[in-house]
Amino acid sequence: MVFITEQEILETVAMIRSENLDVRAVTMGISLADCSERDPHRTAERIHAKIVQRAGRLVRVAGEIEEKYGIPIVNKRVSLTPIAQVVGGDDPAAYVEVAHALDAAAEEIGIDFVGGFSAMVQKGFTRGDAALIEAIPEAISSTQRVCSSVNVASTRAGINMDAVVRMADVIKALSKLTAANDCIGCAKLVVFCNVPEDNPFMAGALHGSGEPEVSVNVAISGPGVVRNVVEHHPEASLIELADLIKRTTFKITRVGELVAREASQMLHAQMGIIDLSLAPTPAVGDSIAEILESMGLEQVGAPGTTAALAMLNDAVKKGGTMATSSTGGLSGAFIPVSEDAAMAKAAADGVLSIEKLEAMTAVCSLGLDMIVVPGDIPNNSLAGMIADVMAIGMINSKTTGARIIPAYGKKVGDWVTLGGLFGEAPVMAVSQAGNDAFLRRGGRIPAPLQSLTN
Amino acid sequence: MRTTVIVTALGPDSHGLLAQVATTIAEHDANVDDVSQTVANGMFTMIMFVSFEETETTMSSLKAALEATGARIGLQISVQHENIFKFMHRI
Repeated sequence: MVFITEQEILETVAMIRSENLDVRAVTMGISLADCSERDPHRTAERIHAKIVQRAGRLVRVAGEIEEKYGIPIVNKRVSLTPIAQVVGGDDPAAYVEVAHALDAAAEEIGIDFVGGFSAMVQKGFTRGDAALIEAIPEAISSTQRVCSSVNVASTRAGINMDAVVRMADVIKALSKLTAANDCIGCAKLVVFCNVPEDNPFMAGALHGSGEPEVSVNVAISGPGVVRNVVEHHPEASLIELADLIKRTTFKITRVGELVAREASQMLHAQMGIIDLSLAPTPAVGDSIAEILESMGLEQVGAPGTTAALAMLNDAVKKGGTMATSSTGGLSGAFIPVSEDAAMAKAAADGVLSIEKLEAMTAVCSLGLDMIVVPGDIPNNSLAGMIADVMAIGMINSKTTGARIIPAYGKKVGDWVTLGGLFGEAPVMAVSQAGNDAFLRRGGRIPAPLQSLTN
Repeated sequence: MRTTVIVTALGPDSHGLLAQVATTIAEHDANVDDVSQTVANGMFTMIMFVSFEETETTMSSLKAALEATGARIGLQISVQHENIFKFMHRI
Protein backbone atom coordinates (compact mmCIF):
# COMPACT_ATOMS: atom_id res chain seq x y z
CA MET A 1 0.00 0.00 0.00
CA VAL A 2 1.23 3.49 -0.87
CA PHE A 3 1.20 5.86 2.08
CA ILE A 4 0.04 9.39 1.27
CA THR A 5 0.85 12.25 3.62
CA GLU A 6 -1.47 15.14 4.37
CA GLN A 7 1.12 17.53 3.03
CA GLU A 8 1.22 15.70 -0.31
CA ILE A 9 -2.55 15.75 -0.57
CA LEU A 10 -2.79 19.47 0.12
CA GLU A 11 0.10 20.19 -2.24
CA THR A 12 -1.64 18.35 -5.08
CA VAL A 13 -4.92 20.16 -4.45
CA ALA A 14 -3.17 23.55 -4.32
CA MET A 15 -1.32 22.87 -7.59
CA ILE A 16 -4.60 22.26 -9.39
CA ARG A 17 -6.77 24.86 -7.64
CA SER A 18 -4.37 27.78 -7.33
CA GLU A 19 -1.47 27.24 -9.69
CA ASN A 20 -3.17 26.28 -12.97
CA LEU A 21 -1.78 22.74 -13.06
CA ASP A 22 -3.41 20.98 -15.95
CA VAL A 23 -2.80 18.44 -18.64
CA ARG A 24 -2.39 20.63 -21.69
CA ALA A 25 -3.42 18.06 -24.26
CA VAL A 26 -4.37 14.47 -24.82
CA THR A 27 -3.58 13.82 -28.45
CA MET A 28 -4.55 10.65 -30.25
CA GLY A 29 -2.19 9.76 -33.06
CA ILE A 30 -3.85 7.83 -35.90
CA SER A 31 -2.14 6.17 -38.83
CA LEU A 32 -3.77 6.87 -42.18
CA ALA A 33 -1.61 4.35 -44.03
CA ASP A 34 -4.68 2.34 -45.02
CA CYS A 35 -6.71 5.31 -46.26
CA SER A 36 -5.05 5.94 -49.62
CA GLU A 37 -7.26 5.54 -52.66
CA ARG A 38 -6.69 6.38 -56.31
CA ASP A 39 -9.65 8.78 -56.14
CA PRO A 40 -8.81 11.68 -53.72
CA HIS A 41 -12.51 12.16 -52.93
CA ARG A 42 -12.66 8.57 -51.72
CA THR A 43 -9.44 9.09 -49.73
CA ALA A 44 -11.05 12.06 -47.97
CA GLU A 45 -14.06 9.94 -47.09
CA ARG A 46 -11.92 7.14 -45.69
CA ILE A 47 -9.83 9.55 -43.61
CA HIS A 48 -12.97 11.14 -42.20
CA ALA A 49 -14.43 7.74 -41.32
CA LYS A 50 -11.25 6.54 -39.65
CA ILE A 51 -10.89 9.64 -37.48
CA VAL A 52 -14.50 9.39 -36.33
CA GLN A 53 -14.19 5.66 -35.69
CA ARG A 54 -10.90 5.74 -33.76
CA ALA A 55 -11.21 9.07 -31.92
CA GLY A 56 -14.98 9.25 -31.53
CA ARG A 57 -14.73 8.61 -27.77
CA LEU A 58 -11.67 10.80 -27.14
CA VAL A 59 -13.52 13.80 -25.70
CA ARG A 60 -15.77 11.66 -23.51
CA VAL A 61 -12.86 9.64 -22.13
CA ALA A 62 -10.88 12.81 -21.39
CA GLY A 63 -13.93 14.16 -19.54
CA GLU A 64 -14.17 11.00 -17.44
CA ILE A 65 -10.49 11.24 -16.49
CA GLU A 66 -10.91 14.92 -15.62
CA GLU A 67 -13.74 14.09 -13.29
CA LYS A 68 -12.03 11.09 -11.71
CA TYR A 69 -8.81 12.87 -10.84
CA GLY A 70 -9.98 16.48 -10.67
CA ILE A 71 -7.30 17.53 -13.15
CA PRO A 72 -8.32 19.69 -16.12
CA ILE A 73 -7.45 18.37 -19.57
CA VAL A 74 -7.40 21.53 -21.64
CA ASN A 75 -7.25 20.23 -25.20
CA LYS A 76 -8.32 17.07 -26.95
CA ARG A 77 -6.62 16.61 -30.30
CA VAL A 78 -5.87 14.20 -33.09
CA SER A 79 -2.60 13.91 -35.02
CA LEU A 80 -2.36 12.14 -38.35
CA THR A 81 0.06 10.61 -40.81
CA PRO A 82 1.40 13.53 -42.89
CA ILE A 83 -1.32 14.07 -45.45
CA ALA A 84 1.17 14.50 -48.30
CA GLN A 85 2.08 10.82 -47.78
CA VAL A 86 -1.55 9.71 -47.91
CA VAL A 87 -3.10 11.69 -50.74
CA GLY A 88 -1.47 11.00 -54.06
CA GLY A 89 -1.33 13.27 -57.07
CA ASP A 90 -0.36 16.83 -57.74
CA ASP A 91 -3.70 18.60 -57.66
CA PRO A 92 -3.81 21.11 -54.77
CA ALA A 93 -7.62 21.03 -54.86
CA ALA A 94 -7.55 17.39 -53.72
CA TYR A 95 -5.58 18.40 -50.62
CA VAL A 96 -8.01 21.21 -49.86
CA GLU A 97 -10.85 18.70 -50.05
CA VAL A 98 -9.03 16.46 -47.57
CA ALA A 99 -8.49 19.43 -45.23
CA HIS A 100 -12.25 20.00 -45.26
CA ALA A 101 -12.80 16.33 -44.43
CA LEU A 102 -10.40 16.65 -41.47
CA ASP A 103 -12.22 19.76 -40.27
CA ALA A 104 -15.61 18.06 -40.52
CA ALA A 105 -14.35 15.00 -38.60
CA ALA A 106 -12.81 17.21 -35.90
CA GLU A 107 -16.06 19.11 -35.47
CA GLU A 108 -18.11 15.91 -35.42
CA ILE A 109 -16.12 14.36 -32.57
CA GLY A 110 -15.74 17.66 -30.70
CA ILE A 111 -11.94 17.92 -30.59
CA ASP A 112 -10.06 21.21 -30.55
CA PHE A 113 -7.59 20.64 -33.37
CA VAL A 114 -6.46 18.05 -35.87
CA GLY A 115 -2.82 18.09 -36.94
CA GLY A 116 -1.00 16.43 -39.79
CA PHE A 117 -1.81 18.53 -42.83
CA SER A 118 1.90 18.14 -43.29
CA ALA A 119 4.80 17.33 -45.57
CA MET A 120 8.42 16.31 -45.02
CA VAL A 121 10.60 18.07 -47.58
CA GLN A 122 13.99 18.42 -45.91
CA LYS A 123 15.69 16.78 -48.89
CA GLY A 124 13.29 17.65 -51.66
CA PHE A 125 9.68 17.70 -52.82
CA THR A 126 7.56 14.86 -54.10
CA ARG A 127 4.71 15.94 -56.39
CA GLY A 128 2.37 15.40 -53.47
CA ASP A 129 4.49 17.52 -51.11
CA ALA A 130 4.51 20.40 -53.59
CA ALA A 131 0.76 20.18 -54.08
CA LEU A 132 0.06 20.09 -50.36
CA ILE A 133 2.27 23.11 -49.73
CA GLU A 134 0.50 24.99 -52.51
CA ALA A 135 -2.84 24.06 -50.94
CA ILE A 136 -1.95 25.25 -47.42
CA PRO A 137 -3.21 28.87 -47.69
CA GLU A 138 -6.64 27.86 -48.94
CA ALA A 139 -6.86 24.72 -46.79
CA ILE A 140 -6.03 26.47 -43.51
CA SER A 141 -7.92 29.69 -44.21
CA SER A 142 -11.10 27.79 -45.09
CA THR A 143 -11.08 25.45 -42.08
CA GLN A 144 -11.35 26.02 -38.33
CA ARG A 145 -9.50 23.16 -36.63
CA VAL A 146 -6.92 21.95 -39.12
CA CYS A 147 -3.25 22.54 -38.32
CA SER A 148 -0.37 22.28 -40.74
CA SER A 149 3.36 21.75 -40.51
CA VAL A 150 6.17 21.37 -43.01
CA ASN A 151 9.55 19.94 -42.10
CA VAL A 152 12.12 21.76 -44.23
CA ALA A 153 15.34 20.78 -42.45
CA SER A 154 17.04 18.09 -40.41
CA THR A 155 20.44 17.41 -38.94
CA ARG A 156 20.83 14.46 -41.33
CA ALA A 157 19.68 16.23 -44.49
CA GLY A 158 20.51 19.90 -43.98
CA ILE A 159 18.19 22.78 -44.84
CA ASN A 160 16.12 22.74 -48.02
CA MET A 161 16.38 26.45 -48.77
CA ASP A 162 13.96 26.19 -51.70
CA ALA A 163 11.38 24.92 -49.24
CA VAL A 164 12.21 27.71 -46.79
CA VAL A 165 11.61 30.32 -49.50
CA ARG A 166 8.40 28.62 -50.56
CA MET A 167 7.13 28.49 -46.96
CA ALA A 168 7.72 32.22 -46.57
CA ASP A 169 5.45 32.76 -49.58
CA VAL A 170 2.85 30.40 -48.09
CA ILE A 171 2.89 32.20 -44.73
CA LYS A 172 2.44 35.59 -46.43
CA ALA A 173 -0.45 34.25 -48.52
CA LEU A 174 -2.09 32.74 -45.44
CA SER A 175 -1.69 36.02 -43.60
CA LYS A 176 -3.51 37.88 -46.36
CA LEU A 177 -6.31 35.30 -46.61
CA THR A 178 -7.00 35.46 -42.86
CA ALA A 179 -6.36 39.21 -42.45
CA ALA A 180 -9.94 39.79 -41.29
CA ASN A 181 -9.22 37.56 -38.27
CA ASP A 182 -5.86 39.06 -37.30
CA CYS A 183 -4.06 36.55 -39.55
CA ILE A 184 -5.07 33.62 -37.32
CA GLY A 185 -4.21 31.15 -40.09
CA CYS A 186 -0.50 31.68 -39.51
CA ALA A 187 -0.91 30.48 -35.90
CA LYS A 188 -1.90 27.09 -37.30
CA LEU A 189 1.19 26.57 -39.45
CA VAL A 190 4.68 25.58 -38.25
CA VAL A 191 7.88 25.24 -40.24
CA PHE A 192 10.11 22.63 -38.61
CA CYS A 193 13.64 21.37 -38.40
CA ASN A 194 13.89 17.80 -37.00
CA VAL A 195 10.12 17.49 -36.54
CA PRO A 196 9.26 14.92 -33.84
CA GLU A 197 6.98 12.10 -34.98
CA ASP A 198 5.05 11.91 -31.71
CA ASN A 199 4.49 15.53 -30.72
CA PRO A 200 1.12 16.11 -29.01
CA PHE A 201 1.30 19.93 -29.23
CA MET A 202 -0.34 21.95 -31.98
CA ALA A 203 0.15 23.31 -34.48
CA GLY A 204 2.93 20.83 -35.22
CA ALA A 205 1.44 17.50 -34.18
CA LEU A 206 1.72 14.66 -36.65
CA HIS A 207 1.76 10.85 -36.49
CA GLY A 208 5.09 9.75 -37.94
CA SER A 209 5.97 6.72 -39.97
CA GLY A 210 7.52 4.87 -37.01
CA GLU A 211 4.42 5.20 -34.89
CA PRO A 212 1.87 2.45 -34.12
CA GLU A 213 -1.62 2.24 -35.62
CA VAL A 214 -3.12 4.37 -32.85
CA SER A 215 -1.38 5.97 -29.89
CA VAL A 216 -2.16 8.38 -27.09
CA ASN A 217 0.35 11.13 -26.40
CA VAL A 218 0.02 13.49 -23.47
CA ALA A 219 1.35 17.02 -23.12
CA ILE A 220 1.91 18.17 -19.58
CA SER A 221 2.06 21.76 -18.51
CA GLY A 222 2.32 23.66 -15.27
CA PRO A 223 4.35 26.88 -15.55
CA GLY A 224 2.30 28.26 -12.67
CA VAL A 225 3.39 25.44 -10.36
CA VAL A 226 7.07 25.94 -11.21
CA ARG A 227 6.78 29.70 -10.85
CA ASN A 228 5.22 29.30 -7.42
CA VAL A 229 8.12 27.13 -6.25
CA VAL A 230 10.72 29.56 -7.61
CA GLU A 231 8.93 32.54 -6.10
CA HIS A 232 8.82 30.93 -2.66
CA HIS A 233 12.60 30.39 -2.61
CA PRO A 234 14.11 33.82 -3.29
CA GLU A 235 17.30 32.94 -1.43
CA ALA A 236 17.91 29.55 -3.05
CA SER A 237 21.16 29.19 -4.97
CA LEU A 238 20.88 28.12 -8.60
CA ILE A 239 21.87 24.56 -7.69
CA GLU A 240 19.14 24.47 -5.04
CA LEU A 241 16.69 26.05 -7.46
CA ALA A 242 17.45 23.44 -10.11
CA ASP A 243 16.68 20.71 -7.57
CA LEU A 244 13.39 22.37 -6.60
CA ILE A 245 12.35 22.64 -10.24
CA LYS A 246 13.29 19.01 -10.86
CA ARG A 247 11.19 17.85 -7.91
CA THR A 248 8.25 19.92 -9.13
CA THR A 249 8.37 18.74 -12.72
CA PHE A 250 8.66 15.17 -11.47
CA LYS A 251 5.25 15.59 -9.86
CA ILE A 252 3.73 17.31 -12.88
CA THR A 253 5.01 14.57 -15.17
CA ARG A 254 3.65 11.82 -12.95
CA VAL A 255 0.19 13.27 -13.48
CA GLY A 256 0.81 13.15 -17.24
CA GLU A 257 1.93 9.54 -16.96
CA LEU A 258 -1.20 8.62 -15.01
CA VAL A 259 -3.46 10.30 -17.57
CA ALA A 260 -1.60 8.71 -20.50
CA ARG A 261 -1.87 5.21 -19.01
CA GLU A 262 -5.54 5.58 -18.22
CA ALA A 263 -6.51 7.27 -21.50
CA SER A 264 -4.66 4.77 -23.67
CA GLN A 265 -6.27 1.86 -21.84
CA MET A 266 -9.76 3.35 -22.10
CA LEU A 267 -9.29 4.18 -25.79
CA HIS A 268 -7.73 0.79 -26.69
CA ALA A 269 -4.65 2.56 -28.02
CA GLN A 270 -0.95 2.16 -27.38
CA MET A 271 0.43 4.55 -24.79
CA GLY A 272 2.70 6.90 -26.69
CA ILE A 273 4.79 9.57 -25.02
CA ILE A 274 4.67 12.20 -22.33
CA ASP A 275 5.84 15.56 -23.65
CA LEU A 276 7.76 17.26 -20.83
CA SER A 277 7.06 20.79 -21.93
CA LEU A 278 6.27 23.86 -19.92
CA ALA A 279 3.65 25.46 -22.12
CA PRO A 280 2.33 28.85 -21.12
CA THR A 281 -1.16 30.25 -21.61
CA PRO A 282 -2.15 33.91 -21.72
CA ALA A 283 -3.56 33.59 -18.17
CA VAL A 284 -1.67 35.56 -15.54
CA GLY A 285 0.55 33.19 -13.55
CA ASP A 286 0.73 30.57 -16.31
CA SER A 287 3.83 32.04 -17.89
CA ILE A 288 7.39 30.98 -18.70
CA ALA A 289 8.47 34.63 -18.64
CA GLU A 290 7.16 34.95 -15.09
CA ILE A 291 9.25 31.94 -14.01
CA LEU A 292 12.37 33.62 -15.42
CA GLU A 293 11.39 36.87 -13.72
CA SER A 294 10.86 35.01 -10.43
CA MET A 295 14.39 33.67 -10.82
CA GLY A 296 15.59 37.26 -10.57
CA LEU A 297 15.40 38.90 -13.98
CA GLU A 298 13.70 42.29 -13.95
CA GLN A 299 11.95 41.36 -17.18
CA VAL A 300 12.33 38.57 -19.70
CA GLY A 301 14.82 39.67 -22.34
CA ALA A 302 17.24 41.15 -19.81
CA PRO A 303 20.87 39.99 -20.07
CA GLY A 304 20.97 36.56 -18.41
CA THR A 305 17.66 35.44 -19.88
CA THR A 306 19.22 32.76 -22.06
CA ALA A 307 21.21 31.37 -19.12
CA ALA A 308 18.16 31.30 -16.85
CA LEU A 309 16.09 29.61 -19.55
CA ALA A 310 18.81 27.01 -20.19
CA MET A 311 18.82 26.07 -16.52
CA LEU A 312 15.02 25.94 -16.35
CA ASN A 313 14.73 23.85 -19.49
CA ASP A 314 17.35 21.35 -18.34
CA ALA A 315 15.86 21.00 -14.86
CA VAL A 316 12.39 20.39 -16.33
CA LYS A 317 13.74 17.56 -18.47
CA LYS A 318 15.74 16.01 -15.64
CA GLY A 319 12.76 15.97 -13.28
CA GLY A 320 10.46 14.71 -15.99
CA THR A 321 12.64 11.86 -17.16
CA MET A 322 12.73 10.48 -13.62
CA ALA A 323 8.93 10.39 -13.64
CA THR A 324 8.32 8.60 -16.93
CA SER A 325 10.15 6.24 -19.22
CA SER A 326 8.09 7.44 -22.18
CA THR A 327 9.54 10.85 -22.85
CA GLY A 328 9.04 12.28 -26.31
CA GLY A 329 7.57 15.03 -28.41
CA LEU A 330 9.08 18.46 -28.04
CA SER A 331 9.97 18.24 -24.34
CA GLY A 332 11.27 21.66 -23.38
CA ALA A 333 10.10 25.05 -22.21
CA PHE A 334 8.11 26.94 -24.85
CA ILE A 335 8.59 30.61 -25.57
CA PRO A 336 5.57 31.59 -27.69
CA VAL A 337 5.29 35.35 -27.43
CA SER A 338 1.56 35.84 -27.95
CA GLU A 339 0.64 32.89 -25.73
CA ASP A 340 2.61 34.23 -22.77
CA ALA A 341 1.27 37.55 -21.49
CA ALA A 342 4.50 38.54 -19.72
CA MET A 343 6.54 37.74 -22.81
CA ALA A 344 4.22 39.84 -25.00
CA LYS A 345 4.56 42.72 -22.54
CA ALA A 346 8.36 42.47 -22.62
CA ALA A 347 8.22 42.58 -26.41
CA ALA A 348 5.97 45.65 -26.28
CA ASP A 349 8.29 47.33 -23.77
CA GLY A 350 11.23 46.81 -26.14
CA VAL A 351 13.05 44.55 -23.68
CA LEU A 352 12.56 41.34 -25.68
CA SER A 353 13.70 41.41 -29.29
CA ILE A 354 13.50 38.84 -32.06
CA GLU A 355 17.28 38.45 -31.85
CA LYS A 356 17.04 37.62 -28.14
CA LEU A 357 14.28 35.13 -28.83
CA GLU A 358 16.53 33.51 -31.41
CA ALA A 359 19.26 33.11 -28.79
CA MET A 360 16.72 31.65 -26.36
CA THR A 361 15.70 29.16 -29.05
CA ALA A 362 19.18 27.68 -28.90
CA VAL A 363 18.59 26.44 -25.34
CA CYS A 364 14.94 25.39 -25.31
CA SER A 365 12.08 24.47 -27.58
CA LEU A 366 10.48 25.52 -29.80
CA GLY A 367 11.90 28.44 -31.76
CA LEU A 368 10.52 31.70 -33.07
CA ASP A 369 7.02 30.85 -31.95
CA MET A 370 3.90 33.00 -32.20
CA ILE A 371 5.90 36.05 -33.12
CA VAL A 372 4.07 38.86 -34.89
CA VAL A 373 5.97 40.84 -37.53
CA PRO A 374 4.89 43.67 -39.85
CA GLY A 375 2.50 42.59 -42.58
CA ASP A 376 4.68 44.15 -45.26
CA ILE A 377 7.78 42.17 -44.27
CA PRO A 378 9.61 41.19 -47.49
CA ASN A 379 9.15 37.48 -48.26
CA ASN A 380 12.91 37.02 -48.24
CA SER A 381 13.25 38.57 -44.78
CA LEU A 382 10.66 36.10 -43.54
CA ALA A 383 12.52 33.27 -45.28
CA GLY A 384 15.76 34.43 -43.67
CA MET A 385 14.16 34.35 -40.21
CA ILE A 386 12.92 30.81 -40.84
CA ALA A 387 16.35 29.73 -42.14
CA ASP A 388 18.05 31.08 -39.01
CA VAL A 389 15.76 29.07 -36.75
CA MET A 390 16.25 25.95 -38.87
CA ALA A 391 20.03 26.38 -38.66
CA ILE A 392 19.92 26.36 -34.84
CA GLY A 393 17.99 23.09 -34.91
CA MET A 394 20.16 21.52 -37.58
CA ILE A 395 23.49 22.30 -35.96
CA ASN A 396 22.38 21.44 -32.42
CA SER A 397 20.52 18.23 -33.35
CA LYS A 398 17.30 19.48 -31.84
CA THR A 399 13.80 20.37 -32.92
CA THR A 400 13.21 23.98 -33.79
CA GLY A 401 10.16 25.56 -35.35
CA ALA A 402 9.06 28.86 -36.78
CA ARG A 403 5.49 30.02 -36.30
CA ILE A 404 5.62 33.61 -37.49
CA ILE A 405 2.60 35.81 -38.07
CA PRO A 406 2.96 38.66 -40.57
CA ALA A 407 0.16 40.98 -39.40
CA TYR A 408 -1.45 42.08 -42.63
CA GLY A 409 -1.87 45.87 -42.74
CA LYS A 410 -0.19 46.41 -39.36
CA LYS A 411 3.10 48.00 -38.38
CA VAL A 412 5.59 47.77 -35.52
CA GLY A 413 3.92 48.51 -32.17
CA ASP A 414 0.38 47.61 -33.27
CA TRP A 415 -1.23 44.75 -31.37
CA VAL A 416 -2.72 41.60 -32.81
CA THR A 417 -5.39 39.69 -30.88
CA LEU A 418 -5.56 36.05 -31.87
CA GLY A 419 -7.94 35.00 -29.09
CA GLY A 420 -8.16 32.05 -26.73
CA LEU A 421 -4.94 30.20 -25.98
CA PHE A 422 -3.26 31.96 -28.91
CA GLY A 423 -3.31 35.21 -26.90
CA GLU A 424 -2.21 38.59 -28.19
CA ALA A 425 1.12 40.21 -29.07
CA PRO A 426 2.65 43.39 -30.40
CA VAL A 427 4.10 43.59 -33.89
CA MET A 428 7.89 43.26 -33.46
CA ALA A 429 10.60 44.94 -35.49
CA VAL A 430 12.64 42.93 -37.98
CA SER A 431 16.01 43.97 -39.40
CA GLN A 432 15.58 45.89 -42.66
CA ALA A 433 18.86 44.63 -44.12
CA GLY A 434 18.42 42.62 -47.32
CA ASN A 435 19.35 39.00 -48.04
CA ASP A 436 18.03 38.57 -51.60
CA ALA A 437 21.33 37.46 -53.13
CA PHE A 438 21.81 34.81 -50.44
CA LEU A 439 18.35 33.32 -50.91
CA ARG A 440 18.55 33.53 -54.72
CA ARG A 441 21.32 30.92 -54.64
CA GLY A 442 18.69 28.28 -53.81
CA GLY A 443 19.44 24.62 -53.21
CA ARG A 444 20.24 23.06 -49.88
CA ILE A 445 22.50 23.88 -46.97
CA PRO A 446 24.37 20.60 -46.50
CA ALA A 447 23.99 18.47 -43.40
CA PRO A 448 26.43 19.51 -40.70
CA LEU A 449 29.44 17.70 -39.33
CA GLN A 450 28.51 15.72 -36.23
CA SER A 451 31.90 15.84 -34.56
CA LEU A 452 34.17 18.79 -33.71
CA THR A 453 31.07 20.29 -32.11
CA ASN A 454 32.56 23.41 -30.54
CA MET B 1 -15.84 -2.59 -7.11
CA ARG B 2 -14.89 -0.42 -4.16
CA THR B 3 -13.51 2.99 -5.00
CA THR B 4 -11.56 5.23 -2.64
CA VAL B 5 -11.58 8.97 -3.14
CA ILE B 6 -9.96 11.72 -1.17
CA VAL B 7 -12.15 14.62 -0.14
CA THR B 8 -10.42 17.86 0.79
CA ALA B 9 -12.24 20.83 2.24
CA LEU B 10 -10.78 24.29 2.82
CA GLY B 11 -12.39 27.47 4.07
CA PRO B 12 -13.17 29.72 7.02
CA ASP B 13 -13.95 27.81 10.20
CA SER B 14 -17.42 27.63 11.70
CA HIS B 15 -19.48 25.18 13.78
CA GLY B 16 -20.48 21.82 12.37
CA LEU B 17 -18.52 21.81 9.12
CA LEU B 18 -17.22 18.26 9.49
CA ALA B 19 -20.65 17.00 10.44
CA GLN B 20 -22.33 18.51 7.40
CA VAL B 21 -19.74 17.10 4.99
CA ALA B 22 -19.96 13.68 6.67
CA THR B 23 -23.76 13.75 6.47
CA THR B 24 -23.65 14.35 2.70
CA ILE B 25 -21.24 11.42 2.35
CA ALA B 26 -23.48 9.14 4.41
CA GLU B 27 -26.52 10.15 2.35
CA HIS B 28 -24.68 8.81 -0.70
CA ASP B 29 -23.96 5.39 0.85
CA ALA B 30 -20.27 6.17 1.09
CA ASN B 31 -18.07 5.54 4.11
CA VAL B 32 -15.52 7.80 5.79
CA ASP B 33 -12.49 5.51 6.25
CA ASP B 34 -10.21 8.14 7.75
CA VAL B 35 -10.39 11.83 8.55
CA SER B 36 -8.07 14.54 9.77
CA GLN B 37 -8.82 18.18 10.31
CA THR B 38 -6.99 21.25 11.54
CA VAL B 39 -7.93 24.85 12.19
CA ALA B 40 -5.18 27.43 11.90
CA ASN B 41 -5.72 31.20 11.96
CA GLY B 42 -9.44 30.62 11.50
CA MET B 43 -8.96 28.48 8.37
CA PHE B 44 -10.49 25.02 8.40
CA THR B 45 -8.65 22.24 6.54
CA MET B 46 -10.03 18.73 6.35
CA ILE B 47 -8.91 15.59 4.53
CA MET B 48 -11.17 12.55 4.31
CA PHE B 49 -10.55 9.12 2.80
CA VAL B 50 -13.95 8.04 1.55
CA SER B 51 -14.88 4.73 -0.06
CA PHE B 52 -18.01 3.45 -1.75
CA GLU B 53 -19.27 0.60 -3.88
CA GLU B 54 -19.71 1.67 -7.48
CA THR B 55 -23.02 -0.19 -7.52
CA GLU B 56 -24.35 2.03 -4.72
CA THR B 57 -23.14 5.48 -5.71
CA THR B 58 -21.10 7.18 -8.41
CA MET B 59 -18.19 9.52 -8.12
CA SER B 60 -20.01 12.18 -10.13
CA SER B 61 -23.10 12.17 -7.90
CA LEU B 62 -20.99 12.25 -4.72
CA LYS B 63 -18.87 15.02 -6.15
CA ALA B 64 -21.87 17.13 -7.18
CA ALA B 65 -23.49 16.69 -3.75
CA LEU B 66 -20.30 17.60 -1.87
CA GLU B 67 -19.69 20.65 -4.05
CA ALA B 68 -23.23 21.79 -3.36
CA THR B 69 -22.71 21.26 0.38
CA GLY B 70 -19.42 23.16 0.15
CA ALA B 71 -21.09 26.09 -1.60
CA ARG B 72 -23.76 26.20 1.13
CA ILE B 73 -21.35 26.15 4.10
CA GLY B 74 -18.52 28.21 2.58
CA LEU B 75 -15.96 25.48 1.88
CA GLN B 76 -14.00 24.67 -1.25
CA ILE B 77 -14.43 20.91 -1.58
CA SER B 78 -12.48 18.68 -3.96
CA VAL B 79 -13.18 15.03 -4.62
CA GLN B 80 -10.42 13.11 -6.39
CA HIS B 81 -9.63 9.46 -6.92
CA GLU B 82 -6.84 8.36 -4.58
CA ASN B 83 -4.60 7.27 -7.45
CA ILE B 84 -3.63 10.83 -8.42
CA PHE B 85 -2.10 11.33 -4.96
CA LYS B 86 -0.38 7.94 -4.97
CA PHE B 87 0.99 8.48 -8.45
CA MET B 88 2.11 12.08 -8.25
CA HIS B 89 4.65 11.93 -5.50
CA ARG B 90 6.36 8.54 -5.97
CA ILE B 91 7.31 5.98 -8.60
